[in-house]
Amino acid sequence: MIGASMKRLELHQAVGTAGLAALALLLATCGGRSGEPGLAGLREKLPEAARGWRAVDRGALYDQESIFSYIDGHAEVYLAYGMRGCLARRYTGPEGEAGITLDVFELASPADAFGVFTYDRDGETVDVGSNGLYRYGWLSFWKGPFFVSVTAESESAAARDAVLELGRAVAALIAVGGTPPALVGELPADGLDMGSVRYLHSQQILDTHLWLGEGEVLGLASDTPAVLARYLRDGRSAHLLLVDYPEEGRAARAAEALTGRLLAGVPGGGPAVAQDGRWHAVRRRGARLMAVVGAATEDLAGGLLADAGFPQGGG
Amino acid sequence: MFSKANVITRRDFVRAGSGLAAAGLLTGVGRPGAWADGEPARSRVVLVRRQDALGEDGSPNGPVLHDMLNEAVAALLGVAEPAAAWQRLIRAGDVVGIKTNAWRQLPTPAVLEEAIRAEVIAAGAAPGDVAVDDRGVRENPVFKRATAYINVRPMRTHHWSGLGTCLKNMIMFVPQPSEYHGDACASLGAIWRLPEIEGKVRLNVLVMLTPQFHGVGPHSFSPAFVWPYKGLLVGIDPVAVDATGARIIEAKRREHFGEERPISPPPHHIQIADTRYGLGVSDPARIDVVRLGWTENALI
Repeated sequence: MIGASMKRLELHQAVGTAGLAALALLLATCGGRSGEPGLAGLREKLPEAARGWRAVDRGALYDQESIFSYIDGHAEVYLAYGMRGCLARRYTGPEGEAGITLDVFELASPADAFGVFTYDRDGETVDVGSNGLYRYGWLSFWKGPFFVSVTAESESAAARDAVLELGRAVAALIAVGGTPPALVGELPADGLDMGSVRYLHSQQILDTHLWLGEGEVLGLASDTPAVLARYLRDGRSAHLLLVDYPEEGRAARAAEALTGRLLAGVPGGGPAVAQDGRWHAVRRRGARLMAVVGAATEDLAGGLLADAGFPQGGG
Repeated sequence: MFSKANVITRRDFVRAGSGLAAAGLLTGVGRPGAWADGEPARSRVVLVRRQDALGEDGSPNGPVLHDMLNEAVAALLGVAEPAAAWQRLIRAGDVVGIKTNAWRQLPTPAVLEEAIRAEVIAAGAAPGDVAVDDRGVRENPVFKRATAYINVRPMRTHHWSGLGTCLKNMIMFVPQPSEYHGDACASLGAIWRLPEIEGKVRLNVLVMLTPQFHGVGPHSFSPAFVWPYKGLLVGIDPVAVDATGARIIEAKRREHFGEERPISPPPHHIQIADTRYGLGVSDPARIDVVRLGWTENALI
């Protein structure tokens, strides 16, 4: 992780942001990863129709700059996960039906594609791609380094069928699969709300899921994978956050800052109760930070600490 | 997580309203004179709703919207005739930028832009001195020499700021809007202190015709999460307008989801615009909401 990050930094410094963006798009559109079609390759294979919905264009490709002209106000979500490019295609429906928009995002890695997928996890599970979800006319799934979104502008039974068919067709074009990042597997199983698991490495993304107060506190960056999840035990809830830093010093600074933020510097990192009656705890071991945020009881906070391998008094 | 402190100072409030006060535009609404000794500031916001604000196909009804706007402006300024109210907002010789919002999924209705433009011109601005713009405000020749702005946009949830508000609508005046996205857009209020904006925003109109209370997907929009509220929130104080709109969105989320589902990230830029930047009043207890028209399911 550290080596990869440093390589990215050196490349960035060498060619500048604009050059890097152009290079990234070139790699993506040329199928720069082994065995993957790339967005341009995908574009050539996209279905022309699905259940009476027909493509109205060839599909547009966007890079890290032009994406802002396509997705207003939301592009940074994808950029936060290392977006390399986006392929967008629109389909018009039969008479009386609204259009469907297909968006395929290529992210920096399968882990990042999973991360984008976890940004919004509402919905019913459907058998499309990895962890397909459907709600309100919107299908989302991830597969390999791709995050795929198929959106019906207005939901109907026919539109749902078309959305799912289109999604399955795109999933079939992506040969690689992928498993969630290893850090996700380190979440304690007892009481875990799987639908609440978020993978991220950006403060802005964290802010949208769990508000820790004003200002940056954790020093999250592309080299700090983090996983956030909600737990429900005996009807009582808490959030658990795990962050892996590339070196202990950064983890220590983050733990100190978060302890100050959540616990007003309580020695040992808690659990301690805040003014709102919720319990918080912060621990660090080596380069890993762990925090229990907003636990309903001290027992719940302590139990999560222990189950995550940070027993009370440790760290 | 953060605690609210009503620390707006009299000096802050005087500074925020100074441009409008100097233009003689603030009469009993969010002006320094509205302070009684030792009393905290209050702001007035008008909520106007009409059942026929939207047609059967959901499109905005232009004449009705125009009437709603005029009724609201008159009530806001406490005068009987809308024309007189507009003349207190806009004077002959003013160069007026109507800051709209062109977000594809939920733009400011063109008929509302046209209504504002018509009233601004009727109040005395020359037609060539009035422009409507969103993303081109930094290059628009009228906006570059503007002496006054009317700020109008629909209310919606937003990934970075929690809510897309009147306060946020001025972000296109800065060269790099994304620089204000950090910390849930906490520093949006700073934009209102820029010389080209401070004291020039004469009116804020938060469009609540079909507000968006939740966002999904890359395009952050689904018809499932808008509803025909059929209203406008109108005020001089952008903080009070946005704070009132936020209450409606919060109430709608409670109603829809059947549980507390706080807006995420929290739209704390509204409160911070009050406490840090002194742009107005965010505390509902100090906002006087004047209600006009349809009152059913108002949510506040």
